[in-house]
Amino acid sequence: MPDRAGRVLPSIHQAPLPLDRLILTDKPDAEAVPMDVLFVGGGPAGLAGAIALARLIKADQEAGGDLGDVQIGVLEKAGALGEHSLSGAVVDPIAIRALFPELKDKDFPFRAPVAAERVYLMTETRALRMPTPPTMQNRGYYIGSICEIVRWLGEKAEALGVNIFTGFPAASLLTNGSRVTGIRTAPSGLSRSGEPGSGYAPPTDITAQITVLAEGTRGTLSQAYLDWQKVASDNPQIFALGVKEIWETLKPLDAVVHTLGWPLPKDCFGGSFMYPLTRNLVALGIVVGLDCKRTTDDIHEMLQRMKLHPFFREILESGEMVEWGAKTIPEGGYYALPKRRHGDGVMIVGDAAGFVEVASLKGIHYAMQSGMFAARAAFDALKKKDTSAATLKEYDAMIDGSFIVSDLYHRRNMRLAFQKSGFYMAGFKAGLMTLSRGALFGGKIASHQDSEVVREVSPPTPFAPDGKLTFSKLDAVFKSGNATRDDIPSHLVVGSDITPEVAEFYTHMCPAGVYERDGDRLVVSPANCVDCKATDVLGPRWTPREGGSGPKYRQM
Amino acid sequence: MKLAVCVKRVPDMDVRFRIGADNISVDEAGLKYDLNDFDAWAVEAALQLRDKNAGSEVTVISLGPDVVQETIRKALSMGADRGIHLKADRVPFDGFAIASALAAELKTGGYDLVLFGKMSPDSANGVVGQMVAEMLDTPCVSAISSLEIANGKGTAKRELEGAQEIVEFSLPAILTVDEGLNTARLPSLKGIMAAKKKPLESKPAQLPQPQLTVTRLELPPERKAGRIIGEGAAAVPELVKLLQTEAKVL
Amino acid sequence: MANVFAFVETRGAEVRKVGLEAVTAARMLADQTGGGEVHALVLGPPEIGGKAPQLGQHGADVVIVVENPALTNYSPEVATATAAARIKSAGYRAAVFSTSAQGRDLAPRVAARLGVSVVTDVLSFEVQGSNIVVRHPMNIGKVIATISIPATPAVIAMRPNVIAPAQNAKAGRLENAQPAVDPSVTRVKVLETKQGRRDKLDLAEAPVVVAGGRGLKAAENFKLIEDLATAFGNAAVGATRAVTDDGWRPHSDQIGQTGRLVSPELYVAVGISGAVQHLAGMRTSRTIVAINKDKEAPIFKVADYGIVGDVFEVVPALTDAVREAKKHH
Repeated sequence: MPDRAGRVLPSIHQAPLPLDRLILTDKPDAEAVPMDVLFVGGGPAGLAGAIALARLIKADQEAGGDLGDVQIGVLEKAGALGEHSLSGAVVDPIAIRALFPELKDKDFPFRAPVAAERVYLMTETRALRMPTPPTMQNRGYYIGSICEIVRWLGEKAEALGVNIFTGFPAASLLTNGSRVTGIRTAPSGLSRSGEPGSGYAPPTDITAQITVLAEGTRGTLSQAYLDWQKVASDNPQIFALGVKEIWETLKPLDAVVHTLGWPLPKDCFGGSFMYPLTRNLVALGIVVGLDCKRTTDDIHEMLQRMKLHPFFREILESGEMVEWGAKTIPEGGYYALPKRRHGDGVMIVGDAAGFVEVASLKGIHYAMQSGMFAARAAFDALKKKDTSAATLKEYDAMIDGSFIVSDLYHRRNMRLAFQKSGFYMAGFKAGLMTLSRGALFGGKIASHQDSEVVREVSPPTPFAPDGKLTFSKLDAVFKSGNATRDDIPSHLVVGSDITPEVAEFYTHMCPAGVYERDGDRLVVSPANCVDCKATDVLGPRWTPREGGSGPKYRQM
Repeated sequence: MKLAVCVKRVPDMDVRFRIGADNISVDEAGLKYDLNDFDAWAVEAALQLRDKNAGSEVTVISLGPDVVQETIRKALSMGADRGIHLKADRVPFDGFAIASALAAELKTGGYDLVLFGKMSPDSANGVVGQMVAEMLDTPCVSAISSLEIANGKGTAKRELEGAQEIVEFSLPAILTVDEGLNTARLPSLKGIMAAKKKPLESKPAQLPQPQLTVTRLELPPERKAGRIIGEGAAAVPELVKLLQTEAKVL
Repeated sequence: MANVFAFVETRGAEVRKVGLEAVTAARMLADQTGGGEVHALVLGPPEIGGKAPQLGQHGADVVIVVENPALTNYSPEVATATAAARIKSAGYRAAVFSTSAQGRDLAPRVAARLGVSVVTDVLSFEVQGSNIVVRHPMNIGKVIATISIPATPAVIAMRPNVIAPAQNAKAGRLENAQPAVDPSVTRVKVLETKQGRRDKLDLAEAPVVVAGGRGLKAAENFKLIEDLATAFGNAAVGATRAVTDDGWRPHSDQIGQTGRLVSPELYVAVGISGAVQHLAGMRTSRTIVAINKDKEAPIFKVADYGIVGDVFEVVPALTDAVREAKKHH
């Protein structure tokens, strides 16, 4: 059924997730690399889990335990740890302190403690200071770069003997009945047509007694697993897209800054952040819900426009943008958590499970803590020699009894409760009512997938980057360090009936310029993709591609 | 065949570099290091020769502080058989000093072929392989873009400016490898696991005092702003004049 | 007062321009160290001796000519042995080579044989007391190193095109010499030097690069670029990623972050907007000319000279003008 005139419903143009490629019943290849516990994803969740597990095993071995040699693997699709990691970030140190009780805060890879913080309501010309709402108090937390945190965790993991494999994306789950038995990696060296070219490396199988899916936001295998086992949440997961830049500035920034209001359209949910990494290095970005109402809402362009506001311009003038990136954030909170986050031989941790608290923009400590719980459950399962769901359900029990779930539960209607706390004011009331979709406080708010939100076809806002403060998507992608080879086959599964309006929608939906509307047709440049996953939420489905492709974030 | 490859760990070149506070080194903060591309092609060439000649073995050698063992392991995970780490506090700029230390190690190795990358992108001098060859009085062909070995003899191609040299050489020999010789294989998962078990010997490097001193490092000057000299075809005569007299490129 | 040695590169019976640059550089060095003599060594086939006067014109006091039919092609072992023997016997302050493909092969060999270091790709040199101080690009040109060479001889290889061959007539006294080793008995033998096909210059080597972008509108319009390149005579043709993605030009022509990095004397960007990923591939070019109909195009920010206009009018006009200019060379 086609779109109604003047409207685009993204879901009808989307292809379904290719489950037959993602869930395989093949027996693992004879040459499969055997691991005992495999963490899929080298972000904070996967690495914290690997470290915690390695320590548990080491302590057990030193105490004369009988586990023998346990191989722990971490599989990361980026060419090096951290290259696909992006976050604000202001980090709650609770989890990293628990993981390294012998270390002090000064030993952790943070940039600086949060000294001052300020919240502003922006209009096109002004920035109105507001009192900092309780959900955004960051005293006692640290400003940090997730890339640096991940690299630091990686070193700790390697020192503990964890096998870290970078440049290897997990493309499929290997299964036997309902059990996950391992994964198969993506091949590399395919030509544009999909045929093996020079430098072809075939997929490799890795078997594991336990596979921990730590893929991050909109993880492909996690989605496939939840779908396959029918344990996804009733409320679909919803997402925001964050677009972030790092600037070397002449003018120092002395506080953690959050803003709301302009340039987001009144019915778009989100805001901006600006954090000082050092006196002259600033991280700033915009976070906007993917349920915006117009086909031409362009989050990258919103960020560019935002920088021209005198408030931001003052800090950035004569400075230089040194990095750019984008990544989605799961926003569904408590009611979007999967019904079951474990199974036979498998657990799901971190952003992939939706452990992100939107009001405070926090997820890193939840990710790490969930990884540590998974490590505990994995250790117990290895000791018991039983890695079935019956034993691994201990993981879910730990999650449910922890601050992860209690935090998410307390803020479960956050988007609506903002009205009560006074944080989101008039500008957002309309948006909040829309978001509440009927039910209000207390009970579960039924929500729709972002792709089920109708967009109005509207003319694009003209945008002419000046190349100094504002940048085109092409120039931005260059600053993400993306040097993916141009002749890589497309990893994006385009759906059907891509009308010129849909092509226009995709052009604005993607922050990296993967999609372009050329007359009436859609042109896809898959090499530009920075794996933010917005496309998977609203447009062509994202699938894993050759390892090492995508961005090379350094200090994001 | 006994094959050896000398490799160097270099920083990723795709960054903006900063000069360190001492003004004679590059600020290492945030730099990512790896086996450089030329050396990767050299390792690949050695692996291909080993695979073609049963009973052959590839030894990878690198000079530097302990961290270069990571680079040797990378070559081992590509498939090399064993590694030798020549321990030194730092890698000097002076190619003669590096070559001396490598030659001392290679002298007793009995290698049929020793391969080097044509140059490393950091020091960008491109001299070590040729100097080692002189020190060991071994035939040497540098910057090869194609290679064939048969019956104790080798044939290689070298790219010149607008031309190509076809070169014949006897074994044992030392070769330095240029772009275009091959595409380096990526380490496989199995290769990475196997590399952990391969022998990697570490011994002190016999490094002489360097003869060169780097007295200063600096960033190149920023480009000066240019100008639009005119519109349309009418501006062409002025452009040509400027190219001749000012830029002196015509 | 100290003498300086220069190695003069030949190809067949011709002296290459870098050879003249080496003599000029040696002359400058000799003058800076008190005005000693420049001794230039040239090896080649029997006709090569006829080039001696030219070398004298560029500052050589002595031209050592080694003629041998077996030296039609480069012989690394003969060149190394002969140069090293001469330098060792005559006590030069410095030995100047070129950072050409041949020079990169030869200079380090000679230095090693002499037991000294070598710096290649030298941008400039200066005499400071008993040291010769040179500048050398590192980290793909992103960092410039200043290096002090105390040893004698200081062996350096100049970057091509940084020293313009200069007329500075000296005696150019001819000395015929023999190769230091028998050319017919070498372990490394150049069998053949094959001229490149269709005079096709490689993007990385060409002194001039003419590149086209989306502004050309269609693949067949690349003829304009090729004609301009032909008019220059020593130019290679490049393209932007947009153009190679669309299949107008092969991927190997792409200049940019994910393509080729070039650093020619002159880069002419035609119908190219100047996206940062393209600039990454060519911004170290010595002189950049941009032709684009959009005066706001970012390329004009990095171009030394820009013309705002219709490429289909400007480029043919420029081609004609360049052809004219080259005629009077």
